[in-house]
Amino acid sequence: MHALEGVRLIDFGQYLAGPFGPMVVGDLGADVIKVEPVQGDGMRLAGKPFFGCQRGKRDIALDLKNPEGRKIALELVATADIVHHNMTAGVANRLGIGYEDCKAVKPDIVYCNTWAYGLEGPLAHFGGLDPLYQAATGLEYEAGATHTGNAPLYYRFGMCDAANAMLSVVGVLAALVHQRRTGEGQELWTSLLDGGAVFASDALLVDGEPVPRPRLDQGLHGIGPCYRLYETQDGWIQIAAVKESEWAALCGVLGVPELADDGRFAVADLRQENREELEALLGEQFARKTSQMWAGALDDAGVPNEIPVDTKAGDLVLFDADNERLGLVAEYEHPIMGTLRQFGELIQFSDTPAHVHGPPPRVGENTKEILGELGYDEQQIEKLFADGVVNWPQPDYPWTI
Amino acid sequence: MAGALDGVRILDLSWGIAGPLGVLLLAEQGADVVKVEPPGGDPFRAYSGYAVWNRSRRSVTVDLKRPAGREALLRLAEEADVLVETFRPGVTDRLGIGYDAVHARNPRLVYCSCPGYPEGHRMAGRPGYDALVQASSGQQWEQPGWRMGPIFLHMPMPSMGAMFLIPTGILAALVALEETGRGQHVKTSLFQGALLYTTQIWQHVEKAPAAFHDLMGKSYPPGIHQQMLFEVADGEWVHASVMSGLTPTKSQDELLGLEDPPDPMTFLTLPPEERDKFTVKRKEAYLTHDRDTLVRSFQEHNHAIEAVITMEEALGAGGSPHPQLVANGMVAEVADPELGETTQIGVPINLLGTPGGIQGGQPLPGEHNTEIFGLLGYSDAEIAAFTGEAV
Repeated sequence: MHALEGVRLIDFGQYLAGPFGPMVVGDLGADVIKVEPVQGDGMRLAGKPFFGCQRGKRDIALDLKNPEGRKIALELVATADIVHHNMTAGVANRLGIGYEDCKAVKPDIVYCNTWAYGLEGPLAHFGGLDPLYQAATGLEYEAGATHTGNAPLYYRFGMCDAANAMLSVVGVLAALVHQRRTGEGQELWTSLLDGGAVFASDALLVDGEPVPRPRLDQGLHGIGPCYRLYETQDGWIQIAAVKESEWAALCGVLGVPELADDGRFAVADLRQENREELEALLGEQFARKTSQMWAGALDDAGVPNEIPVDTKAGDLVLFDADNERLGLVAEYEHPIMGTLRQFGELIQFSDTPAHVHGPPPRVGENTKEILGELGYDEQQIEKLFADGVVNWPQPDYPWTI
Repeated sequence: MAGALDGVRILDLSWGIAGPLGVLLLAEQGADVVKVEPPGGDPFRAYSGYAVWNRSRRSVTVDLKRPAGREALLRLAEEADVLVETFRPGVTDRLGIGYDAVHARNPRLVYCSCPGYPEGHRMAGRPGYDALVQASSGQQWEQPGWRMGPIFLHMPMPSMGAMFLIPTGILAALVALEETGRGQHVKTSLFQGALLYTTQIWQHVEKAPAAFHDLMGKSYPPGIHQQMLFEVADGEWVHASVMSGLTPTKSQDELLGLEDPPDPMTFLTLPPEERDKFTVKRKEAYLTHDRDTLVRSFQEHNHAIEAVITMEEALGAGGSPHPQLVANGMVAEVADPELGETTQIGVPINLLGTPGGIQGGQPLPGEHNTEIFGLLGYSDAEIAAFTGEAV
């Protein structure tokens, strides 16, 4: 049994902040049904981002603007525990799949909307993309060391999309625990903006004044002389000499034991204060040997360090023997794209194993099967197709994924 | 407060970022969290973010190396629903508080572990500081910057991934518990937290043409979104976006005051050199505008745009807080026992039927020793013997 076996989630979302959460819920064993427009999710054209948030789902292609399509959608909702989407303000209500519509057919439904900005407020009517929220919550400012005169820097991982999705997963599961214990469903929401704020949650004002927090140097190496990247003879090394004993050991390994006794660097606060001076001194030493040489010596001396790995866009991680053995890699066959590898189990369970089990579906991959489960017979299903209400892969399937 | 997780009792043995912050998400949906610290307090108390990530919980101190301390922890675990720990693999077993020991005393307990690397991995014994995992998991190489080579990620990405995986795993196990009646061992790691954010960029696809990878490929300068960052007057910056979901009532170029702007759809079809020429003009135009005035005029005309600000500014330092963060309840006043009146982020998950809430500032180390161990029947002298604190 999987942790969320028997839980069904209906996913009306598009882009990333909508569908990524349901994908994670699906990895935990829930039956996730993606409701996709008959003309296909626009994100299919983007390639990778689509694959990044759709694996393991079943897919029904349905025209929600058609009354028949809406009726089917609500029939699906009636079989579900969770409804999840990221439509902008008013759209779900107009389509007739808002919270009240869903609650009417499934009184204990857990209904989640992942917004761009939020439920109410001056910008609530706006949609928006991940980078706006990296800007609004200080992520880009700090990532680029903008205080040094640099330009702000965008993180290319889609952080706020993922944060919004993951907040929604935590919220949906908390609501599900409550529903299982009390029989009550509810509506909930999260946002891209709030997701960004969580990433910067170490920011804090006391009596309205900022409490200083660590900042990057202009070269984007790190946040202090003992917690940063250094360039070596042939590459790079990341060190984390955070304890006093590790600082002394670091000086020993680098062949500058006198620095450990130098008054300018005697305690952590002073090392931070005289950061540039110390970084130059340590940097000079690191440049003398290769990363491998330093890593070995630092390991022997008990100074935490790692050599930053260029994984070739993830391939070295996705084909790593330990990662494969531990289930951290997932592999499946896509009917068009062939063998596909992505990260596997991000959470492991001793009794109810994760369920990372299949490729992203094609448009309407499971339409017939799902309609059959709802009680539609073959004749009705063919009629729905002929009327353009539903779709499934045809011999001339026009999408590349 | 009757939150969704009302009645769920959590023992938080974690430190650093991922554990305390992951637990916070549960605490502020109603879970009753007790932080278990070593005598003298969590060594991370001095670190930035500590007061926020460790709020909304009570604190006890326990010396886990003493038999009486270990037994006290096991007694607490008998009464708890969840335990969270972030020791390196193997450490809790050596201390006698590993999964097997705790499960034997409380089979319904969900035991969540989040070390730096997964148990059984060749890296499992290595130190698990966030930046080290950024390096070893390849994330630093994925981020382009102003120079070639790995870039230190200011946002502690592996921790900020694991922080979500911890409550996700715990809650999934609590849902399963309703079916099975049994707790279990839930495991994640900072390394797996880092993988979370690779979902759009790390895929090995056998038959993918180059175009499949283009949109999310690493590039210098860094990526499509980086090109939507514009410097405005006074050395400030804005991030404009290509979509807002709304229909603009004036074009970006009109709002910038550019003459003879190309039609936006035509612009997209121009050859790159032509587009670059016009981008230079746009950049010059942005430089002439005051940041806040420009942001307002863009938003009034349905263009998505944000000023590039610090999170401290977003919370209201030096001016007004971000109005939408205020509307979302994300600018919170919290009375902190050490710092006084503080402004912190609020509760980022909004359950409308069972609203969550902040349950007080960070506790002092051992603040609740007497209250919590007293209820278990310990005398003051017994408590002092394993908490390392005078009562």
